[in-house]
Amino acid sequence: MFHQSPLKSLTLAAVIVALALYATLGGYFPRDIVVEIALLAILALSLDFVAGYGGMVSLCHGAIYGVSAYAFAGMTAVAGYDAATATLAALAIAAAFGLFVGAVTANISGIFFIMATLAFGQMAYVVVFEWRALGGDDGLSGIERYDLSTLGIDLNDSLQFALFCLVVLVAVYGVAALVLRGTFGRTLTGIRFNEDRMRALGLSAWSHKALAFAFSSLLAGVAGILAAQHTLFVSPELLVWTVSGEVLIVVILGGLGTLVGPIVGAALLVLLKHEVGAYTNHWHLIIGLFLIAAVMAGGRGVYGQLEHYLLQKAERRANA
Amino acid sequence: MVASIDFWLTQFLNGLQLSMLLFLLSVGLTIIFGLMHFVNLAHGALYMVGAYAGVTAAASLGSFWLALAIAPIAVMAVGMFLYATVIRHMRRSGPMNQVLVTLGLIFVIVDLVRIIWGDIALGMEQPAILSGPVELLGVVYPAYRLFVIGVGAAVMLALSLVLSRTQIGAMVRAGVENDAMAACMGINVERLFFAVFCVGCALAGLGGAIAAPVFSATPSMATDILIPTLIVVVIGGLGSLRGAIAGSLIVGFIQTFGAVVLPGFASVLIYVLLAGVLIAKPSGLLPARG
Amino acid sequence: MRKFLCAALGACAAASLMVHSAAAETKVGLLLPTSGNYAALGKEIDDGFVMALEEAGMAGDFTLVREDSEAKPPVGMAKARKLVLQDNVDAVVGIVSSAVLGAVRDFIDGSKVPLIVANAGNDEATGANCSKYIVRVSFSNAQVNRPMGTWMAEHGVKKVYAMAPDYAAGHQMIDAFTASFTAAGGEVIGADYTPFGKTQDFGPYLTKAKAASPDAVFVFYAGGEAISFVKQYDSFGLKADIPLYGSGFLTSPLYVKAEGPAAIGVTTSLHYVPTLDTPENQAFVAAFKAKFDRPPSEYAVQGYDSARVLIEAVKAGAKGREAIAEALSKVSYTGPRGPLTIDPATNNVVQNIYVYETVADGDALTQKIVGTINEVRDAPNGCVLK
Repeated sequence: MFHQSPLKSLTLAAVIVALALYATLGGYFPRDIVVEIALLAILALSLDFVAGYGGMVSLCHGAIYGVSAYAFAGMTAVAGYDAATATLAALAIAAAFGLFVGAVTANISGIFFIMATLAFGQMAYVVVFEWRALGGDDGLSGIERYDLSTLGIDLNDSLQFALFCLVVLVAVYGVAALVLRGTFGRTLTGIRFNEDRMRALGLSAWSHKALAFAFSSLLAGVAGILAAQHTLFVSPELLVWTVSGEVLIVVILGGLGTLVGPIVGAALLVLLKHEVGAYTNHWHLIIGLFLIAAVMAGGRGVYGQLEHYLLQKAERRANA
Repeated sequence: MVASIDFWLTQFLNGLQLSMLLFLLSVGLTIIFGLMHFVNLAHGALYMVGAYAGVTAAASLGSFWLALAIAPIAVMAVGMFLYATVIRHMRRSGPMNQVLVTLGLIFVIVDLVRIIWGDIALGMEQPAILSGPVELLGVVYPAYRLFVIGVGAAVMLALSLVLSRTQIGAMVRAGVENDAMAACMGINVERLFFAVFCVGCALAGLGGAIAAPVFSATPSMATDILIPTLIVVVIGGLGSLRGAIAGSLIVGFIQTFGAVVLPGFASVLIYVLLAGVLIAKPSGLLPARG
Repeated sequence: MRKFLCAALGACAAASLMVHSAAAETKVGLLLPTSGNYAALGKEIDDGFVMALEEAGMAGDFTLVREDSEAKPPVGMAKARKLVLQDNVDAVVGIVSSAVLGAVRDFIDGSKVPLIVANAGNDEATGANCSKYIVRVSFSNAQVNRPMGTWMAEHGVKKVYAMAPDYAAGHQMIDAFTASFTAAGGEVIGADYTPFGKTQDFGPYLTKAKAASPDAVFVFYAGGEAISFVKQYDSFGLKADIPLYGSGFLTSPLYVKAEGPAAIGVTTSLHYVPTLDTPENQAFVAAFKAKFDRPPSEYAVQGYDSARVLIEAVKAGAKGREAIAEALSKVSYTGPRGPLTIDPATNNVVQNIYVYETVADGDALTQKIVGTINEVRDAPNGCVLK
């Protein structure tokens, strides 16, 4: 059951403040890294919503993210719609794609579910790769960032864009937490723990799972729209299954089913990648060893481990 | 479309060859899955190690046949090392952690291979006796590909005999069916798992060494082969030899004939098939347990 | 492990200190893939680049900042921005993947930083989407393949079956070949585009090609796909009846060793061949072999020439982004691959294209040049530099 514990709020605040400071005090590249972290964090948190609370480990969230990025890019750069319409359309398309995938795969479980979502993700990838009007494998450029000049914000400034992404991340976290605390979220968690019992209560597991997947895709869509505006360019590379794999790594690394853990995981993975990458071409090796060590040390993810440790400590104190 | 019988027979052999390669990889993976519910994504990385071990052994010993014997042993040794250091400790820690650890293993193994063998693809010569085409049923076909089909079929036959006729086979089947019950009946499931794991690694190594003369050895083969192998395993259903056979044949033939009949859809066809099978049969076509 | 890491970090820190202490005047960002499938190409280009700087005795005049593009557009874009906005480089060099070039094109053009393209061959980069700031010393996809269409038609090939991976570069290579081949009276009787990066087994396609009974097969494949293709083409026994032609990347010196005897007799066209018999090239090959203990590939030459054009520009007095960009498009010299000029109309390289056959040389393989098409220049194709 999701509970916005003080530890969660504290961790979230600490990470966001640290990233905001890093962006403000650092030069151009730290800001770019902060944006990268924020996007990956939104995507990971959307995956945690279905995987951690709904038990649906998806390997197509990268594809959903890419579909949304392409929808936004296509609507603005090719079809010439305004940014607001394109945003709504991109979110609707991401959610609809998610609803479809969720609806047809909701009865599948375990590794079979993972592979079924992979199949749909790869289909989306092939479609985008072959779609000449959207640039095919060359990708698509000509995207513009939101014009927020009426609010006195210039998103073409790297610092303001980084901070904007952090604000969106917090907002997405807030929405996800609200939904999880509500009836829908409780039912979803209930289905994860005992699907038969929830069915016996007269609830449709299938429709709840499909809707959860659609909602998660909507959140992933937010990340996609920001991604298109971040690089001002979209390419099929966004949809490849390895992106989904990386998101899954982030979720497990941070702590599956903790919602705030994936944000920690995203920050960790991106920073690690850049720090190690600056010294060696074989950064995969170091990251791989790190992942193995992280799991073998506890297997709850970084945030999960922290929570576990504090809980145990509190318990010991209560027992003493 | 060309309609001659030779053409379709050649394509049939192409499909069979691909199926057999997929079979060598997926059979180990599926039994490990079925027996111990262990998700070993690094299986493809072992296939890659097999290819490199084969290339190196063939180059230094000058014999393809020795390389073919050494590669599976080398990969089995790597597998044993991984088992002792990582996999044994991950047996009970849940599928998500297993996914993460074995993904980490892929990163590590691929980069070690890059450090040892470099980024440039390495080739391996076919043995003289198998190089060049031969005539079979009026069709001219590469001898080496027939050899691949032969090896795959031999392994298939051997495994099905072992599984259905021997005591160890019965133990494996019992373990797949219900490991807790099998343990109660006095079967040392842990040791059984280790044995099966070793055989699975050896077969992956054999697959890699056999594939090297056709595809060459590259660091990207670890991840390239992972998805097709998982598709075979999932379509066939976890834990069953019959499933692995059926899955390999379906995927191999769909890939081959898809490329011929629907060239524009060749890359998406396999995913359509995967999604279709899972929607119709959520546990694959021939799962080991009902 | 800890010890190793400390040692590695220490060595890197020391290396970066040394670079900073040199009196460098021009800062160059090397944007190449150093991990992933294209890492081998990145290394060749980097080696060639460094060699040219050392040869000119100007290694101290340039500060190099290296970034791994991973050959992925989003990563390449982020790293290009880092180089330009944070490191303030005077020029960016590299880019292996056309997709990465497409991604960074607008950014490079907008920020007015010269980019020397060391590989990516998409035609638009020096065509419809050309930029005053983007100079290409490698090749364009059309440039390498167009001459081959004419050459093959002139050498009596009438009917060709074509194959390439199904992505933009694959289509551009085959399209350029087809256009010149049909213009010279040939006919492309069939073509297959194989799923890019996913095709390992070419059996089904080779069987189709054989059934079409063409005079020859023309293909574009590179890297691991090239090795698989050449070996499988041979094993199906096709080479004896239907000669194999292609883009020179198919039998690049980088891969030909892995292809082995299967590559013998394959005829391809490329902008550089290591056996080219000119004093410039002989000196280059000898120096490269002495330094790296392997023959140079076209990728190494592309890296080498990227540095050469930059050196020429700096020697001509160019300093700072705008001046370097200006000077780059005026560079012209005779290098390892023969005469090399930057076309002032498109900023693409004008160079010879060599038709070569891979032949046996004892146990090894070597390249025999069988035709030279001088100073191949791309039409502007809508390019207006301003």
